[in-house]
Amino acid sequence: MANTFPFAAIVGQDEMCMALQVVAVDPTVGGVLVLGDRGTGKSTAVRALADLLPPIEVVLGCPYGCSPKDHHNGCEHCAALKTDKPKTAKRPVPVIDLPLGATEDRVVGALDLEKALSQGVKQFAPGLLAQANRGFLYIDEVNLLEDHLVDLLIDVAASGENLVEREGLSVRHPAKFVLIGSGNPEEGELRPQLLDRFGLSVEVRTPQDLDLRVNVVKRRDAFDRDPDGFKADWADANTKLRQRILKAQKAVAQLEIPDDLLRLCAKLCHALGTDGLRAELTLMRATRAYAALHGAKKVTSAHLRAIAPLALRHRLRRNPLDDTGSGERVQRSLDEVLA
Amino acid sequence: MQDAWEQAQRALLCLQVDPVGLGGVWLHAGYGPARQAWLKQLQHLGLNLQRMPHHIDHERLLGGIDLSLTLSQGRVVTHAGLLAQAHQGVVLLPMADKLPSHTLAMLLQAQDQGVVHGAGIQASHPSQFAVVALDESLEDEPGVPAKLKERLAFWLDLQHIDMRQCEAQLEALSEKELTDIQSLLKTLQATPAQLHALCEVAMALGVDSLRAAMLAQRLACVNAALLDHTRVEDEDLQFAVQMVLAPRATRMPASAESAPEEPTPEPEPPADNNNDTDTDNTPPPAEPQALEDMLLAAALASLPPKLLDQLLLGGAKSKTNSSGSSGQAQLSKQRGRPLSPRQGRPGAGARLHLLATLRAAAPKQKLRQKQPGQTVAIRTEDFHVQRFAHKASSCIIVAMDASGSAALARLAEAKGAVDLLLQQSYARRDSVCVIAFRGSQVQTLLPATRSLVRAKKALAGLPGGGGTPIALALKHASEQALALQRAGMTPLLVMLSDGKANVTIEGLGGRTQAQEDAMKWAQQWARLGFASLWIDTAVQPTGHAQELSQAMQARYLPMPYVASQRVADAIAFIR
Repeated sequence: MANTFPFAAIVGQDEMCMALQVVAVDPTVGGVLVLGDRGTGKSTAVRALADLLPPIEVVLGCPYGCSPKDHHNGCEHCAALKTDKPKTAKRPVPVIDLPLGATEDRVVGALDLEKALSQGVKQFAPGLLAQANRGFLYIDEVNLLEDHLVDLLIDVAASGENLVEREGLSVRHPAKFVLIGSGNPEEGELRPQLLDRFGLSVEVRTPQDLDLRVNVVKRRDAFDRDPDGFKADWADANTKLRQRILKAQKAVAQLEIPDDLLRLCAKLCHALGTDGLRAELTLMRATRAYAALHGAKKVTSAHLRAIAPLALRHRLRRNPLDDTGSGERVQRSLDEVLA
Repeated sequence: MQDAWEQAQRALLCLQVDPVGLGGVWLHAGYGPARQAWLKQLQHLGLNLQRMPHHIDHERLLGGIDLSLTLSQGRVVTHAGLLAQAHQGVVLLPMADKLPSHTLAMLLQAQDQGVVHGAGIQASHPSQFAVVALDESLEDEPGVPAKLKERLAFWLDLQHIDMRQCEAQLEALSEKELTDIQSLLKTLQATPAQLHALCEVAMALGVDSLRAAMLAQRLACVNAALLDHTRVEDEDLQFAVQMVLAPRATRMPASAESAPEEPTPEPEPPADNNNDTDTDNTPPPAEPQALEDMLLAAALASLPPKLLDQLLLGGAKSKTNSSGSSGQAQLSKQRGRPLSPRQGRPGAGARLHLLATLRAAAPKQKLRQKQPGQTVAIRTEDFHVQRFAHKASSCIIVAMDASGSAALARLAEAKGAVDLLLQQSYARRDSVCVIAFRGSQVQTLLPATRSLVRAKKALAGLPGGGGTPIALALKHASEQALALQRAGMTPLLVMLSDGKANVTIEGLGGRTQAQEDAMKWAQQWARLGFASLWIDTAVQPTGHAQELSQAMQARYLPMPYVASQRVADAIAFIR
């Protein structure tokens, strides 16, 4: 694995980093869509996640990285295991890059050529979706992704499992991942269905503050010169951040959302005319995760206010042409509902 | 200031010292002596140079299983991809402007991560390299995609180099020199004040991407090492600003805007003022301020004169040029969506899918009786052929009449109608191309795109007024339609006009001639045989539009009060 930039050392882009942490705390919030200019550190931040998050426990030898806790539901490998307590191993959270030109074979998985050719064995070689199980799937320029891959992702992202019926193979394996997409909206639109699979959306801009920019360049240069030294320097800060996320992951299960806050969520979604209940559900989960991240004992409307624009602005039933105002529309409704 | 050729040679030396850190070179030049001379010198640098054709496939690019060897030896043989072979070297991309976007995506992913993952195998190889992108695009072509360009430190333009200039030869660094310089480079670092100055200049020039500032910083260090400086000097920074930041400028620095005619370093008056006030209050920051001004002056001096004109026209134009190219590149890929290969005989247009065929044959190798000397037994039942699902997408050409007669209330209404139309095409994943005509000119507001944000912007900024050059508009629309057809799409024209032509095909006034020309081009359109819709935007339809639409064999829709929804519905109908 290539060296990744420490997450804690990322300067600026607070909203994006916050959104990534929120989905790390509660993956059920859904994916993160990052829209914005080039050269703003989108990819850097996403790839840094792998280092930031605590390693996960997996069933030893399972190609899909199943958790030992629920290895019964899902993959063939773990189902074939005799014991209830399989051997386990630790490995970093997968952050898988899905490049634009990837073939369907590569994404879904295909017949294992190595095995087929050398041993004459028909075996499934897992693709990127399998690798991303329990982790993150990152697609740079998601808005330019070919339609056939988009179709595939929409399905897998919703069902959490990848069903392969090709080349004489019939394989079903878990593929639960957090989808992270980035792109520049000027270059193409996102399909509404795919848009819907993202829980949060953030907009990134090139920082216009001089000191901030100097800082970015400085840190990047330091990293490029001596990656290991730089990472060692930031190890403490990274660990701290990791602890915070770990704590929040535990806390989020205990956090209750008061009924009046739920009512506020519903009111907000109603006022904005978002489709279906998914928006409310996402909003609720995101608010809770955000509160947990901030070590709150209770979820309050302040948390809702902070996270609502991210959870809602890409869901407005809107004129697809007019997306400049969606952030403001959410803000306005927030002010009205929370007034 | 050095001339372009000297700069190009200097870039070569810098590349030799630090190919990976500098990202590479964008070389904009047609085939010719200058480019050839430069490439020849590149070859003599002793760098590991890998030439990458733009039609390279994934297996070769990323590495994978070597099928023929694997089959003959009965064990898995993998081969390294081109990107892995180029480790610590240079990937040379001829015709980088035509590079398919999926290949580009793989290339950039490898460059970003410094690692390349093979196709179909688990192994990964280190892959750190520079890219030399050769760009032969003409002025109105999209050129090298911005996402590649911005990762390359050097933007060289050798289009206007004198033959005699490029005879000057370059002395490549010897091995010994190179190691010395590289070990010196490791110790060099820009001071915080210098970094500050670089970032400030980048902002003043409107260079938003932070990669540019990083590359400039790196180049300053490389240049310092080349010149045997023990620390990064002003001269090095100047060079970096000239090479990296100036070509990326998107706006004139504020201090120079007042005197755009003289790009030569004359930002002195404001600089002096700044310095005076600074020295009065706080003496320490005076030096970085002076440094920034000097760097800014260097940047201004190296801005090509033509660029200045473009910049003065405003940022809008350069914006459309720089972005959206990848969106356009997608058009050519819409011809077929690859399906998995299926069993069947090749021939009759179907192409053999070698990999799938071998895949089908591989598990059965043990069972089959092989002839002596035969390593692979492939039977006809193994044959697989390539399949594509072809769905021709359509592109709607919207021709908007922005003339005086249409301008007042109608234009706004027509814009509304087009908005709705765009929404529909968005849902259908069609693309849209918007042209506008008024006075004696027709303008492509927006080349075929699927980005509605851009379409919307293009429309919003459309001014009204002037004559009605219908003939010109139809001519332009025909050209567009043919180009779109070549790109594998079905064009569809929507004309929004009152049909009262009063500007001839030559762009002159004269109602009678204008009407005749318009009729001629309307008939020409009918000959092309593309579907079309004419929406009469006249307050009181006079029949002009109807006549023309009949000649075009277009559907005619009088719309004294353009009701947006009706227009959109009508378009859905003619599809």
